[in-house]
Amino acid sequence: MTLTGMKNHVHVLEQAGLVTTEKVGRVRTCRLCRRGLQDEAEWIERYRQLWSARFDELDMVVENLKRRERANGRNNRR
Amino acid sequence: MDATTAGESGAAKHETTVERRSDRELVVTRTVNGSARLVFEAWTKAELFRQWWVPRSYGLNLVSCAMDARVGGAYRLAFLHEGSTMEFFGTYLEVTPHSRLVWTNEEGEGGTTVTTVTFDEIAGRTVVAVHDLYPSTEAADAAAGSTGAMPEALDQLDELLGSLASTATD
Repeated sequence: MTLTGMKNHVHVLEQAGLVTTEKVGRVRTCRLCRRGLQDEAEWIERYRQLWSARFDELDMVVENLKRRERANGRNNRR
Repeated sequence: MDATTAGESGAAKHETTVERRSDRELVVTRTVNGSARLVFEAWTKAELFRQWWVPRSYGLNLVSCAMDARVGGAYRLAFLHEGSTMEFFGTYLEVTPHSRLVWTNEEGEGGTTVTTVTFDEIAGRTVVAVHDLYPSTEAADAAAGSTGAMPEALDQLDELLGSLASTATD
């Protein structure tokens, strides 16, 4: 990885709140920012919960459709 | 660990997974017990879609839902939340019966999000994958906002719980 590439990489992580950096003289020290990682994980989990709840409702709609088709199938055979 | 648990009706309830595939992409995957034909129907007919898109537990009021699931057709969902109306709308780019749906989300200010939904039927079950491509990293980060007031409500709950916890330790 080039120095420029490394700088860009660190910059992206910093922007995302995943690391904090501190420059003293020519040395830039990076620290992992636990809060950022936690936020990301929490955010993904919230998103997952919404979709999980949504798909649980979809299950019910599909079950109803299946039931309806089975009932129609029985009626049609009569 | 088994990915499924037995539901009340004896039908298996499947696990929902979310993957952030890149800074602009989110993919949600879930298996549904039903043929791709029925699952696709539930995604493309407004009277069915409105029954599940807004989970009842979220307490949001879906006031209107119109969908014209044809290439170039439009959809529009309107929610009532705390006295104001929120609208979500866009256009269908691809409609391939029982296997693939692509639509745009045009309500965002930062550009258009493209949602691709694929339906893969395996042994009478359908694997549904919902792929969102956001116009920017910022839009992807803010995506939880597009799913309604829930994240905000959870933030408020977090604050409340935080203040209760600090009160308890006083």
